[in-house]
Amino acid sequence: MQRVILLVIVSFMAHSIIHLAPGEPSEVDPMNPRMKPEDIAKIRAAFHLDDPLYLQYGYWIRDLFTGELKSFKDSQPVLPKIWDRFLNSLPLFVVATLLVWTWAFPTGIYGAVHRGGMYDRFTIFLAYALISIPGFFLSYLVILWVAGWLGVPVISIKTFGMDQAQPVFKMMDRVWHLVIPSLMSALGGVAILSRYVRSQMLEVLGQDYVRTARAKGLEEDTVIYRHALGNALLPFVTMFGFLLPGLIGGSVIFEQIFAWPGLGRLGYEAILSRDFPVIMTLNFMAAVLTLAGTFLSDILYAVVDPRIRLQ
Amino acid sequence: MLIKRLLLLIPLVLVVFLLQSFFWVPTYENQAAGNPNRLVTYIEGSSGDAKILNPILNADSASANIVNHVFEGLLDLDEHLNLRGRLAVDWAITEQAYLLVNAHHRFPDGQEVNGTSLLQRLSQALQAGVLRDMPEMLQPLALLPASQRTEQVSLLKVDEKGKPHVVEVPVTVQVPERIVFSLKQVDQDLFERLIPVLGERYGDQFSYADWIHPQKAVAPEDEELLREKYPEILPVAEHNPTIVFHLRQGVKFHDGHIFDAGDVKFTYESIMNPKNLSPRTPDFEPIKTVEIIDPLTVKIVYKRLYSPAINAWTMGILPEHVLHAEALNREKQERGLSEAAQQTFGMRDSQFNRRPLGTGRFQFVEWQGDEYIHLRRFEDYWEEPAQYHEYFMRIIPDLLTQEVEFRTGAVDFYGALPHQVARYKEDPTYQSFSSLGFAYTYIGYNNRKPLFASREVRTALGMAINVQEITDFLIYGEGERITGPYPQNTEWYNPSIAPIPYDPEGAKALLAHMGWKMNAEGWLEKDGKVFEFTLITNNGNPIRKNILTIAQNAWKRIGVKVNTQVFEWAVFLNDFVNTGDFDAVVLGWSMGIDPDLYQIWHSSQSGPQQLNFVGYHNSKADELIVRIRQEYNRNRQRDLTHELHRVIAEDQPYTFLYAPLSTRVLDKKIVLVERDANGQEHYKKIFPIKSGDITFYFYKWRKLDHTPDF
Repeated sequence: MQRVILLVIVSFMAHSIIHLAPGEPSEVDPMNPRMKPEDIAKIRAAFHLDDPLYLQYGYWIRDLFTGELKSFKDSQPVLPKIWDRFLNSLPLFVVATLLVWTWAFPTGIYGAVHRGGMYDRFTIFLAYALISIPGFFLSYLVILWVAGWLGVPVISIKTFGMDQAQPVFKMMDRVWHLVIPSLMSALGGVAILSRYVRSQMLEVLGQDYVRTARAKGLEEDTVIYRHALGNALLPFVTMFGFLLPGLIGGSVIFEQIFAWPGLGRLGYEAILSRDFPVIMTLNFMAAVLTLAGTFLSDILYAVVDPRIRLQ
Repeated sequence: MLIKRLLLLIPLVLVVFLLQSFFWVPTYENQAAGNPNRLVTYIEGSSGDAKILNPILNADSASANIVNHVFEGLLDLDEHLNLRGRLAVDWAITEQAYLLVNAHHRFPDGQEVNGTSLLQRLSQALQAGVLRDMPEMLQPLALLPASQRTEQVSLLKVDEKGKPHVVEVPVTVQVPERIVFSLKQVDQDLFERLIPVLGERYGDQFSYADWIHPQKAVAPEDEELLREKYPEILPVAEHNPTIVFHLRQGVKFHDGHIFDAGDVKFTYESIMNPKNLSPRTPDFEPIKTVEIIDPLTVKIVYKRLYSPAINAWTMGILPEHVLHAEALNREKQERGLSEAAQQTFGMRDSQFNRRPLGTGRFQFVEWQGDEYIHLRRFEDYWEEPAQYHEYFMRIIPDLLTQEVEFRTGAVDFYGALPHQVARYKEDPTYQSFSSLGFAYTYIGYNNRKPLFASREVRTALGMAINVQEITDFLIYGEGERITGPYPQNTEWYNPSIAPIPYDPEGAKALLAHMGWKMNAEGWLEKDGKVFEFTLITNNGNPIRKNILTIAQNAWKRIGVKVNTQVFEWAVFLNDFVNTGDFDAVVLGWSMGIDPDLYQIWHSSQSGPQQLNFVGYHNSKADELIVRIRQEYNRNRQRDLTHELHRVIAEDQPYTFLYAPLSTRVLDKKIVLVERDANGQEHYKKIFPIKSGDITFYFYKWRKLDHTPDF
């Protein structure tokens, strides 16, 4: 219940902020200098732009829940539009997340175990380098490199003009097009997350029960991977919940550079053309997923940590 | 240890699986070399996706690009920017003019005016030849009997919060007896020529209230607004220019349906249908009636003199058989919309806008949102079909990625920036073009402010700026100096006007003459006030931002203190330009082909939200502007525009800077293919036409498998 109230407040605030921002939908100001004030007033009325904000909010909610919400830009229904883009963004998000989570753990653990060694110092350097180099810059370099030296297409969701190819080729082509953008968007994540893993592991490795485990004469691997890792994982479980809103956010920068027809671009272009219904709906979904995500992480925490129980 | 192994194995397997996909992907080489279709496929890169593929609704350049391939207008502009028939074979412009019988007026000899006496006197004068320069008549004068009609009048009201809304008032109009003139040519001075017969001020005494009656009670505050509209509802003297279009026979829509006059009328009615919210309404609003004379002849009657109106017919024509009311009804039934949504359902909501159908050279195949739009050439086109078989517009938002795709040959054309084009200038595999377009950049002074009120001050400010420096260093020489408000490549531009010279010393002298003296700190001062103002522009345009700095520096040298500021576009427009609350701006205009400058320069257009935001007022210019838009004779029109150009250049309300050249680059293998009488193919180099457009002969373009020598 609390969450529902929060959702309404969040969406109403987002609605007001978007409408208070300067600029108007391009349909209202279609750059035709001969447009008469009468005509513009009629268009504004059709989009309810002159009604009070709470009424506009009401119209939006009504249309959203009857599924008849239309984009200002092309008068197409908003929900199918978002769904199509969601399907495009999903593989990118899934692969990037998989890369982040599968790579961060081995690199982080190894760094923690061999603390201060050459490998550890090198990964620290690399991680900070990746965190500080802007992702778009690295992407440009990689695109130039792949297109120039390897001579294969990198951008968009599939190779242009592959419609006649065999299904296996088509599928592998799609996989290839996922590789670079997901790798690029994963790099920063790997760098940050592996730092976390390393520091968590270091903390846990200094605990008394680790020393006890070692004293029992257990094998080093058993100590690290069963006793230490299990306990170091706790904070990461909660992070799973926060992945949810990423589903709807897409990645504006990488979708823009790699010409990926995903949600991030949909949202970005909606903002540029002040397409209020699309912006609002995306925002609303992100809010819903964020709330669901925090809820999920609360539950997960309770499941993995025996010290916490749901009342 | 299993966990350890898994932790290592999973990421490795994942990465190996991802990377192996590389071996399944065709390289750029393979795609082009192994594919003969690539030579007859044209791929254009676009940064933005189209929004709505409907000629009466689109308002963005990506949509316009596709719409121009799929649809075709009655007319278009030829190589020399003259109108040329497309769906229309030819057209004729004549005029019907009406003069109401104003019983409250008296002839110069004191006699009362009535229908018969007016007709008699005018006919006699015509026969006697006492009226000077009367245009040729198609039919003798006639007296039309009184009649009655009803119409809707839209009143624009502003509520107490300052928000505008529209009130519709139905009115009954009793039209008194009228004299009708049928003229062979449009003549804006017709009624002035009749003064010897009618006497001066013929229409002044006309009592509109006797003839126009609102059908329902009008609120007292609306009455005034309605009264202001009276002369528009029932003009005493009315010009009705008339265009008769003869349409091309046997033109097919892409589904095989034959195009006819019904489609033209339907297109007009769709634009004017308020449900469709068409941004084209202002272009078609001057039309009074569209009448189908026979399936291949349409007659368009205009409400008033407005010569640019004919240009509106270059817009694409819609297929009536796909979009008529019944078809739209069926569509909304099928989509199962709610009651409220059905009420407002218009053409804007139709799926037609995502799979359009027209009579153009290319037909629509597929649209993948934010990925590409695919067109195929229309084999049954009435002229020779295009050389390219397939046309793609790929949406690649990032300019650098577009360039990568262009270099690798996956895109044939993209909107390259000047510095990108410069990279290909020396490369023998590419051809580049730079040509004048219709745009120009200027510094506009707020003429309302006392500081800029005098023309000498504005001229002096212009003289202090070295425009050559700007074009050389900011736009790599890709710009031409301009002197006035018209595009240089149209005949409206007056080439005899010299630009104001770069002369900082002269500027100082001119300002000294105006009473501005140098003070101790090196700034100009008059009546104890330093010559200081703020120059602003919008964010996101690096060239304008640099002009800001150059101008600031140039003015500093003559002792003028300038502050500069850059604002986000929406803020820039809302808070400064639209309200007129600024000193000077750096901005640009992109002009149309017609010579009508009413919106930008007429003094009536200097209110808030209007385009004459610098507040330029000159009665001579006002008169010329109105005469230009009412003149139908091209030669006379050109003389008038040259005069207007001169007046504006003398006043210097703007410092006109330069017109940027647009730059494009193409693979050299793309050429114009022409066939001679024997069917032999000849290749020609692609060239820009007068408007700067290189795609005018796009239908003749094709990619060769070798680089030709010219």
